[in-house]
Amino acid sequence: MSEARMDTLPPEENRRRLEALARIWDNAPGWRGQLTAVNHGTVGLRFIATGFAFLLAGGALSMFIRLQLAWPGNQVLDPERYAQFVTLHGTTMMFLFAVPIMEGFAMYLLPKMLGARDLPFPRLGAFGYWCYLFGGLFLYSGLLFGEAPDGGWFMYVPLTDATYSPGRGVDFWLIGVTFAEIAAVTAAVELIVMILLCRAPGMDIRRMPLFAWAMLVTAFMIAFGFPPLILGSILLEIQRAFGFVFFDVARGGDPLLWQHLFWLFGHPEVYIIFLPAAGVVSMVVATFARRPIVGYLWIVLALVTTGFLSFGLWVHHMFAVGIPLLALAFFSAASMAVAIPTGIQVFAWLATLWAGRPWLRVPMLYLVGFFITFVGGGLTGVMVALVPFDWQVHDTHFVVAHLHYVLIGGLMFPMFAGLYYWLPLASGRMPSESLSRTAFWMVFTGFHLTFLPMHLTGLLGMTRRAYSYPEQLGVHWLNLLSTAAGFVLAAGTIAILVDAALCFRHGRPGRRNPWRAGTLEWALSHPVPAYNFASLPVVADRYPLWRDRGLAARTMEADGLLGDPSSGRRESLGTSILGGVPEQVIRLSGSSWQPLLCALTIAVLLACFIAGFYLGSALMLVVLLGQFCTWAWTTGDRHAPATVQAGPRLELPVQYACRNAPGWWALVVSLLIDGSLFASLVFAYFYLWLGTDAWPPAPMHAGAGAGAWAALALLGVCWIASATSARLMRRGGGRALALPLGVAALAGAGFLWMQWRAVASGTGAPGEHAYASVVWTLAGFHAVHVAVAMVVGLFVAARGQRGYVGVERPLEQRIAAALWAYVAAQGVMAWGVIHLFPEWA
Amino acid sequence: MAGFARPSTLVGIAAPMAVWALHFVVLYSLQGLTCGEGWNPRSSFWAMVALTIPALAVIAWLGLRALRTARAAASGEPAARRARFAAQATGLCAVLAAVAVLFTVVPVLLLPVCS
Repeated sequence: MSEARMDTLPPEENRRRLEALARIWDNAPGWRGQLTAVNHGTVGLRFIATGFAFLLAGGALSMFIRLQLAWPGNQVLDPERYAQFVTLHGTTMMFLFAVPIMEGFAMYLLPKMLGARDLPFPRLGAFGYWCYLFGGLFLYSGLLFGEAPDGGWFMYVPLTDATYSPGRGVDFWLIGVTFAEIAAVTAAVELIVMILLCRAPGMDIRRMPLFAWAMLVTAFMIAFGFPPLILGSILLEIQRAFGFVFFDVARGGDPLLWQHLFWLFGHPEVYIIFLPAAGVVSMVVATFARRPIVGYLWIVLALVTTGFLSFGLWVHHMFAVGIPLLALAFFSAASMAVAIPTGIQVFAWLATLWAGRPWLRVPMLYLVGFFITFVGGGLTGVMVALVPFDWQVHDTHFVVAHLHYVLIGGLMFPMFAGLYYWLPLASGRMPSESLSRTAFWMVFTGFHLTFLPMHLTGLLGMTRRAYSYPEQLGVHWLNLLSTAAGFVLAAGTIAILVDAALCFRHGRPGRRNPWRAGTLEWALSHPVPAYNFASLPVVADRYPLWRDRGLAARTMEADGLLGDPSSGRRESLGTSILGGVPEQVIRLSGSSWQPLLCALTIAVLLACFIAGFYLGSALMLVVLLGQFCTWAWTTGDRHAPATVQAGPRLELPVQYACRNAPGWWALVVSLLIDGSLFASLVFAYFYLWLGTDAWPPAPMHAGAGAGAWAALALLGVCWIASATSARLMRRGGGRALALPLGVAALAGAGFLWMQWRAVASGTGAPGEHAYASVVWTLAGFHAVHVAVAMVVGLFVAARGQRGYVGVERPLEQRIAAALWAYVAAQGVMAWGVIHLFPEWA
Repeated sequence: MAGFARPSTLVGIAAPMAVWALHFVVLYSLQGLTCGEGWNPRSSFWAMVALTIPALAVIAWLGLRALRTARAAASGEPAARRARFAAQATGLCAVLAAVAVLFTVVPVLLLPVCS
C-alpha cells in the first residue's frame, strides 16, 4: 500500500496540529483528571502499578508462610491464620497479580505496538480497572473484619459451604474475586476488538507482532475460560446466601461439580498467564538476537493449538478424586499433547538466538532465567500428567514446587524481562544496570534455592497446605533453606520494583529506541504523547522500524493519516480483520466519571449484599441500571458525518455506518462469553442429573404443559418482532423502531410471566432439591437476559426517536436485533432443558 | 459446506483444533454417560472408535484443503501471500490436531471404559 501523505506541511501548521492533538487527548489536569482518565496509557500503567502492589501484598503473605514452615512445630501463625494466608497468597497471585498485570501490559502496549491511538473502548478499560481495584480491596477488607477466606485459593466445597465455613470469609472471596474478574472479561472484549480491527494500515495477519497474536489467543481463552469460574462462584454464593443446593450430596448436589467448574477455568488460567508472557519473550528475543524471529508461523501455530489444548487438561487437577481410569487417561493424554506446541515455541526462540548475534543486556538476562526455570517446570508438569506418578505426589510439596516453577518461570521472569525492556519507553530513562543485574541474581538464586528443595520435601512426603510437619520426616533442613532463600527472592523482587520506580525520576535519560528494536511502539517520541502517533504509520514489514528508517520521524509529523485534528474529537483508524486495509474512522470517547461511578455503585451494591442488606442491593441495582443507561446514551453522535477525510486522498465512513464496527464485534465477543457462561450452567444441570437416581425427584416436574408452550410462543414473537426492525427502519427511519422493539419488549414481559408460572407450578421451592435449584437458576439466568434485551430494545427505540439511530447509523439497531436473536436462541435451549428433558429422562 | 471455515480466515486456522475439542468432549461425555447411566461399555467402546474416524477425516480434509490453498496462492500479491500464510497455519494446526486426536484415542484402545 502506498502511503498517502501531503506534500509538506508548514512547520507552524504542524506545531498547531500537534498542540491540538495534545489538547484533545490529554487527561484533565489535577486529581479530577486522574479520576476521570480513560486513556490506554494511563489505565495500562495503573493496572501494572496496582498489580505490583498486590504482588508485594501476596509476597508478604508468603514470607509468613515460609517462616511458619521454617522449622517443625513453629508458632509464627496459628492454623487458622495460616489457612487464611495460604488462601490469600494464592488468590492474590492468581487473580490480583498475574492476570491483571498482563492485561496492563497489553493495554499499555498494544495500541502503541499496532500503530493506533487508543483502545477501541477507553471507558470500558477504565471501568475494568476500577472494578479490579475495588474487587481486590474488597477481598482484603475481609481481614479488617477478621473474616478472611481460609478455604484455599480453589475454595473446595463442602469445606466452603455454609455448614463448614459459617463466617463471611468465603463470601468475601466469592464476591471480591468475581468483582475483580469483571476486569478480565472487559479486557478480553477490548483486546480482541483492538487486535482484530484497530491495527495500522498494512499490518496484515502475517505482520502482527507475536505479542498481539499471544494476546489474541489469550483474550479468547479468557472469554471461554473465566465464565465457568464466574458461574461456580455465583452458584456457591446463592447456595450460601439463599439456601439453594448445588454441592450438597444430601439434597441431590455434588461437590465434584465445584471442582469441575473451578478447574475448567483453573487450568486454562495457567496458559492465560503463560501465553502473554510467551508473547513478551518473542518480542524480546528478536530484539536482543538482533534478527527477525525464526519460525513466526510455527509460533502462531503453537499459540493457537495451546489455546485449544489447555482446555483439555482440567481434570488433571482431579486425578485423585476417584474418576474412572479412561477419563483420567483422556486428560493425561491432553496434558502431554500440550507439551508439543510449548516445545515448538521454545525451540523457535532458541533457534532465533542461535541464528542471531545475541546481546546480553538485562532483559535478555531475565530471559535466560526464564528458559532454565520454565523448562524445569514444564518437565515436572509432564511428570504429574502421568496418573500413577500424580497419585504419588498429589497434595505434596512436589506440586507446590512444580506450580511455582511454571508460574514464576513462565510468568515472572518474562514479565521482568518485559518490564526492563519497555521501561525506557514508558519512562524515557534507562534503569540502573548494576541494581538490575544484582536484583536478577538475587531473584534467580533465591527462587531456585527456595523451590528446588521442595521437589525433594514433597517426594519425602511433606504435604501441602498443612501448617506444620513432623520432625521425623527429616525435611527440616531443606525447609530452613527454602525459607532463607525465600527472603532472598523477596528482597530481589523488591529491588526490581524499587529500581523500576526510581527509573522514572532518577534514571539516566535514554535515547529513543535504546535497544534498536524493530516494532512500532519504539517509533514513539519521549515523553510518549497521549495520542501516540501524530499521523498513523503505514506498515509493510513485521519489523517496520528495521525496514523503514524514516518511519519513526514521519509518525511525528501531523501530515499523514488522521493527522488533521480539526474535528476536535478523539479518532483512531479501523482496518480490515485479515488484511489491515483502512475501513473506518473510529471516534472514541474522552475522559469521563462514568467508569468510576459505576464501579463504586457495584462496590456499594456488593457491600450491602455481603451485609445481608438485600433491599440496599436492590436499590443500588436500580441506580446502576440508570448509570449504565446514561453511559450508553453518551456514546454515538447524531451529528457525525457519514464519512470523514482520514488523510490525503482517503475518505472513510465513521464507525456507526460500518459493517465491521467495533461495537458490533464487542457484541459478538460478549455473546461468546455469555454463551460460555450458559454452557457451563447447562453442563451443571446435566452433571447433577448424571449423579442423581431420580430426576426430577417426585413430586417435582417442570414438564411441557400448555403454559410452557405459550411461553415459548411469546419468545418467538420477541424474535420475529426484533428481526423485522431493520426492514421497518429502512422504510421509516429511526422513529419506526419503536413499534417492533416495543412489541418485542411486551412479548418479553409476557414470556417472563408465563415462564415463571410454569416453573413455579412444576418445581416448587428452589431449596428442596438440587433439581429445583438448578431449574430455577437456569430459568432465572435466562430471565435476566430477556430483561436486558427488553431494556436494550427500548433504549434503542428511544435513541431512534432522537435521531441517534437511523438508516445512516444502523449499528445500534443491529445490536438490539442480534441480542434478541441470541436471547431467543438461548431461551429455546433453556426451555428444552427445563421442560422437555424431564419428559425424556 | 463450500464456504465453511476457509483456510484463509482466522476461524479456518482454528477449525482443525475445534474438531479435536469436539471429539474430546464427545468421547469424555460418552464415557461419563456410559458409566453413570449403565450403558453397554462394549457399544460405547465401538462408538468411540467409530467417532474417531470422521474426526480424523474432517481434520485430514481441512489439512489437505489448506495445502491446496497454500500451493495455489503462491503468487506475489499481498492478498495471496496472506492467504498462503493462513493456509500454512491451518495445515500445521491440522497435523497437530490429528496427533492430539490420536493421543486421545490411544487410551480407549488400552483401558476398560469403566473402572
